[in-house]
Amino acid sequence: MAEPLSPLQPVWRPGRHGNLSGGAGVVLSETRPASIVQVAAWPGSERAVIAAIRAATGLAVPDGAGGGVATATKAAFGIAPGRFLVVDQAEGLEAELRGRIDARTGSVTGLSHGRTAIRVDGPKAEWVLAKLFAIDFGLTALPAGSGVATQHHDVLAQIQRTGAVRFDLYVFRSLARSFWQTLCHSAEDVGYEVI
Amino acid sequence: MSPRRTPDGGRIDRSRQVRFTFDGTSYSGHPGDTLASALLANGVTLFGRSFKYHRPRGVMTAGIDEPNALVTVLEGDVREPNIPATMLEIRDGLTVVSQNRYPSLAFDLGAINGLAGRLFSAGFYYKTFMGPVIGPLKGTRFWMFCEWFIRRAAGLGRAGHAADRSRYERVNAFCDVLVVGAGPAGLMAARAAADEGRRVILADLDARPGGSANWSDETIDGMAAPEWVATMLAELSGRDNVRILPRTTVWGYYDDNTLAALERVTDHKAKPETGEPRHRTWTIRTGSVVLATGALERPMVFPGNDRPGVMLAAAAERYASEFGVLVGERAVLFTNNDRAYRSAAALARAGAKIGTIVDVRDTVSAAAQRLASECGAELLTGRAVVATEGRSRLTGVTVRAFDAKSGAVSGDARNLAADCLLVSGGWSPALHLASQAGAKPRWDAALQAFLPPEPTQNWVAAGAVAGAYTTAEALRQGLEAGRRAAGSSDDRGEIGIPLAADDELDPAPAPVFEIRADGKAFVDHQHDVTADDVRLAHREGFVSVEHLKRYTTLGMATDQGKTSNVPGMAIMAAAVGKPVEEVGTTRFRPPFAPVSLGSLAAERHGHLKPERLTPMHDWHVAGGATMMTAGLWFRPQVYGQPGETVEQAYVREAKAVRGSVGIVDVSTLGKIAVQGPDAAEFLDRVYTNTFSTLPVGKARYGLMLREDGFAFDDGTTWRLGETEFLMTTTTVNAGKVMQHLEYLLDVVWPDLRVHLTSVTDEWAGAALSGPKARQVLEACVTGTAVDDATLPFMGIVRGEIDGAPVTICRLSFSGELAYEIYCGAGYGTHVWETLIAAGRPFGIVPYGLEALGALRIEKGHVTGAEIDGRTTARDLHLDWMLSKKKPFVGSAMMDREGMTGPGRLELVGVVSLDGRPLNGGAHIVENANPAAPRDSIGHVTSVCYSPALRRYIALALVEDGKARRGTRAFVSDPVRNRFGPVELVSHHFFDPEGKRLHG
Repeated sequence: MAEPLSPLQPVWRPGRHGNLSGGAGVVLSETRPASIVQVAAWPGSERAVIAAIRAATGLAVPDGAGGGVATATKAAFGIAPGRFLVVDQAEGLEAELRGRIDARTGSVTGLSHGRTAIRVDGPKAEWVLAKLFAIDFGLTALPAGSGVATQHHDVLAQIQRTGAVRFDLYVFRSLARSFWQTLCHSAEDVGYEVI
Repeated sequence: MSPRRTPDGGRIDRSRQVRFTFDGTSYSGHPGDTLASALLANGVTLFGRSFKYHRPRGVMTAGIDEPNALVTVLEGDVREPNIPATMLEIRDGLTVVSQNRYPSLAFDLGAINGLAGRLFSAGFYYKTFMGPVIGPLKGTRFWMFCEWFIRRAAGLGRAGHAADRSRYERVNAFCDVLVVGAGPAGLMAARAAADEGRRVILADLDARPGGSANWSDETIDGMAAPEWVATMLAELSGRDNVRILPRTTVWGYYDDNTLAALERVTDHKAKPETGEPRHRTWTIRTGSVVLATGALERPMVFPGNDRPGVMLAAAAERYASEFGVLVGERAVLFTNNDRAYRSAAALARAGAKIGTIVDVRDTVSAAAQRLASECGAELLTGRAVVATEGRSRLTGVTVRAFDAKSGAVSGDARNLAADCLLVSGGWSPALHLASQAGAKPRWDAALQAFLPPEPTQNWVAAGAVAGAYTTAEALRQGLEAGRRAAGSSDDRGEIGIPLAADDELDPAPAPVFEIRADGKAFVDHQHDVTADDVRLAHREGFVSVEHLKRYTTLGMATDQGKTSNVPGMAIMAAAVGKPVEEVGTTRFRPPFAPVSLGSLAAERHGHLKPERLTPMHDWHVAGGATMMTAGLWFRPQVYGQPGETVEQAYVREAKAVRGSVGIVDVSTLGKIAVQGPDAAEFLDRVYTNTFSTLPVGKARYGLMLREDGFAFDDGTTWRLGETEFLMTTTTVNAGKVMQHLEYLLDVVWPDLRVHLTSVTDEWAGAALSGPKARQVLEACVTGTAVDDATLPFMGIVRGEIDGAPVTICRLSFSGELAYEIYCGAGYGTHVWETLIAAGRPFGIVPYGLEALGALRIEKGHVTGAEIDGRTTARDLHLDWMLSKKKPFVGSAMMDREGMTGPGRLELVGVVSLDGRPLNGGAHIVENANPAAPRDSIGHVTSVCYSPALRRYIALALVEDGKARRGTRAFVSDPVRNRFGPVELVSHHFFDPEGKRLHG
C-alpha cells in the first residue's frame, strides 16, 4: 500500500535557511503522526471522555480550558469546551477510542489525513509564532502541554505547547502548504532549519 | 569638520563618516545623526517649501513634531514622501530630495504664490472654484478644470508609482505593562513594573531611548543624565521580563488596552539582514499602560516666524547637546517662560553667542536672570519679536515693546542681527494616546496647556505629559505610575527615586501665544495656516474648533498639528472672546504619527489569501490542467490539449463522459461529520426532506433553506452509522453551512446531542462518471462488489483501491452512471492514479469544472448560480423536496406573501436559436428590437455549449418561467453587444427520465 503523501512535499526544503548569523532560531518539521483523532464529550460527560483518553493512550489530560499533556509519541489537549485533539505517532488510535467512547458519551472523529502536524521548535519559536497568531505564547499563559485553537487569516490552527520552546501546530491539510510557506517566510529573520 | 559641528560633545560616533545625498549634493555626517542634524551640521538651512505659498522653510524642531522639514526618500525608483528630516537617521547611500518645489529648492517658481497671499486665505478653494461662471466653465466643472493646476502647485511630497519591494511584517505582543516613552518617567515606570515581576514592554520613538535625559545637562542619581539613561537601559535590557523597543512609535490606543505601534527596523541600516523587515507593526495587548509620552515645545505666533533659522529653543538645545551641532552662531531667544533660558545656556556652553533674550514678560525669575547672565546675553523684558529678516536664512529680527496683558505692541522697533532665533511658547503635553483612550482633555491655566483627561481605559500618565515638567517630578511620577500599573499595593513612598535637583526654573509660561503685527504669522506651518486665517474662520461663523480645523486645515496633515493646535485654539479663543478651556481642543485620533501602508498590509500581499489545494492538485498541474479559483480552492478548469480552446477542451471532456467514462476531482465539496444520538433528528430539522428514515449505508439528496424561506444550499448526506452522517455541501458554501449549523446547535437547539466537525480535508474525493464507470471500479476495487445489487443508486460500500481504504457512494451530478470515491486525503493521488490506470482501457479522461458545468446544465441541476439567495425551492422546481410531515428551518417563512404565486422568477432552460454562445448575466426580453431591449423578464444564470444537444444552452431564471416553456424570447446583453433569439424550454435538457443514471 502506498504511504500517505504529505501536502508539503513540493515545498519541502530540508536544510538551514534565512539569517543564520545567530544559528537557526527555530527548527521546523512535519511530525506526521499516524493518528489524529478528535474526541468530543456531551455536556456532563467530559470526565468520562477524559478517562477514556487516559485508558486508550495513558495520557492524563487535565480538566480545564486548553489543558493538555504530551509525550514523545502521544499528545492530547483541549481545543474547545469538551473537545480534545488526541494524537499518536502509531496507527489505530481512532479504533481504540471508538471502542471506549460510545454515542451516549461522546463522539470520535478521525482526522489523521485532514490535519497536517507541523512542529516549531527552538528559542525563537514564540517570536515566529507571534507574527502569525494573536495568542499569548508566554509560558505562564500557555504552559507546557496546554493548547489553543486559533487561526492565521483563513487557516485554522490548533496549537499545543509540547515543550518550553516547542509547539505542535495542526492545520487543515488543504491549507498546509500555504501556511508552511508563510511560516518559513516568518522565520527567515531568525534563521530556521527544516528537518 | 563641518561648519556647524562642535569640536566635541553629542552622542554621535565621530570616529565614522556616513555619506548621503540631499537634492543631488553629497554630504557626510556621523552614525547617530538624523538627516536634520547632519544637514544643519553642514550649514544647510533651507529644507523645503511651504504648502501654499512655497515659502522657504528650515527645521523647526528636532523630533516627531516637525512641520517644515519634510523630505522624500528615494530607494531606487521607489519614493517615500513626507518623511520628517528630524526623524530620519542617516545611513551610507541614503538619497533624499526636497519637496514641493520647481525647478529647485533654492529657486522655486511656485513662490509666486506668496504674492497672492490674500487670495489663498482659509476657504480659498470653496469660495473661488465652486461658484463663478467663466464662459462654459461653471460650478463644479470649473473646479474640475482648475483642480489639476491647484494640485500641482500645492501640497506635500509626490508619491511614486513603483512597487515597494521592501519587506514588512506584523507581530503580536502581550504584556502586563506597556510603557510608552523612555524618558526619565518612562524608564522609572518600566523598572518599577519590572521590579514587581510584571512583563514589561518599553517603547520609544527615538533611536536612542532616554528622552530629554539624552540632551539634558542635569544630574540624576549622581550621574550625568545620559549616563543614568545608559545605566538604566543596561539594567532593563538584562531582565527577562522587559522588552525594549527603540525606534517604535506607539500610534493608536484601541479598545481592551490594545495598542498599535510601528517599529522602524531597518530604515537606519544601509542593508537589512536576511529576513529583516523594513517596518514592523506591533499589536500590543497589555494589562495596563504607562503613558510617559513627554511634552512638545510650542512656538510663538508672530510675523515672519517661519523664516529658516527660527527654531524651537529646546530643539536647538538638543542639536547642540545630543548631536554636537550649533544651529547658529549668533542667536536670539524669544520666550514667554523660564525653561527656555536653559536652552540658551546650553547653546552658549556649546559655543554659540546668545546675543539677546527677548521675553514678553515684564519680570523674570532670579534663576532665569542668572542663566541669561551666564550666557552673556542682553535681557529684554516686556518685548516681543514682531518681524524677521532674511530670505532663505535668517539675518535679523525686529523687537518692539509688548504688553503681555493686552497684547499691544508699541514703541520703537529695534533690529537685532541674528542667524538663529530660538523660540519657546511653553509646552504642550503629548496627550494624543491619552485622548484616544480618555475623556475630554482638561486645560491647566497655570501651565497654559491641555493635560490628559480622565482615563476610559487602564492607563496612568507620568512625567511631562502629566504636567510634571521637572526631571525630579518626572522620576517621582514614573516610579509611582510603574507601581500602580503593576498593581502594587505596597506604598513604599519615595524609596527608589533617584536624586535629581529640583528645578528652580518655573515651567509655567505667560499666557501669550501670538504677537499681532504686520505680516504673515503662521500658526500651522505645514499647511500655511496663519493667525489671520483663524480669525477669518471665526468671522465667517466657524466657532467650533472642529469646524475651524476643517475649514482652515489647521492641525491636519502629517504632523497633525503637534506644534499648531494649542496656539490655534488660543487664537480662536481670543477671537471668540472665551477662555481656551471653553473653546477646547480637537479630538485626537490614531495614528499619532504617519504609519507606512506596507506595515499595515505586512504579509498580506502577493497571494493575499492562502491557497487551498486538493490532495490531487500537483497531479492536475502536472497533467496540464488550467487551474481556476473557487473561493480559496484551486480547481482544474480544463485539461487542455495543445491548440485547444477552453470550449473545445470541455466539449471533448464532456463527450468522453457521456460516451465512456471521465473522472473529476470533487475533494473540494464541503464535508461535515454530523455525529450523535440526535444527528438524524437534527438533519430532519435543517433539511427540507427527511433523513431519519434513511437506512445506514445509503445517501440522500438534501436541500436546506435559510430561516427566511429562501433556498440556501444542497448536497447529499450519507448515513454511515445509526448516529453518524457525512454531510456534503457545495464547495463555496461549506463555511456558511457549518456556521449556520453550529449556530442552530449552540443557540436554537442546545439540547440536541450532535457534534459537527469539518472533515472536508480528511477525504479526497473523485467522481467517476459515464457508462463505463462501473467497469472501471470493477477493475480496481477490492473488498466489495460494485454491481447494481450491492451498490444501487444512492448506495454506499466500503472497500480498497490498491490497498487504500475507500468509501464509494453511487450518485450522479452528470446524469450518467456515476460514483463518488472517497479515501483518506493522503492516499488521494494514489487512488486517483489507480482509477485512471483502471480506466485507461475505456479511454478515461480527467475533466474539469467547465465540463462538470456543461454536464450538469444539460441535466438541469442547480448550483450557486441558481441558488443565489433570492430563489425559493419552488422557483427551482424542488418543491418535491419540501416535506409536509415535519417542520424544518425555513418552513414557517417559505409560503409567505411574495414567495409563492405568479410573477416569480423560475428556473427554465434556454436554447440559443442563432447558434451563438450565451452569456451569464444576460437579460431575457420579449421585445424583438435590439435597440430597445427593455422589460427584462429574467436573466441567464449558467451557460455552456452542450455536446449532447450540439447547441449553446443555458439555465435562466425567468418570470413565470414554467408557463413560458416552448415560447420564444430574446437574450439581451448590451454590455457584450449580444442580442439574439432563444427558446425557453424545460431545464431538463438531456435524458429527462434519468435512464442513463442507472447504467
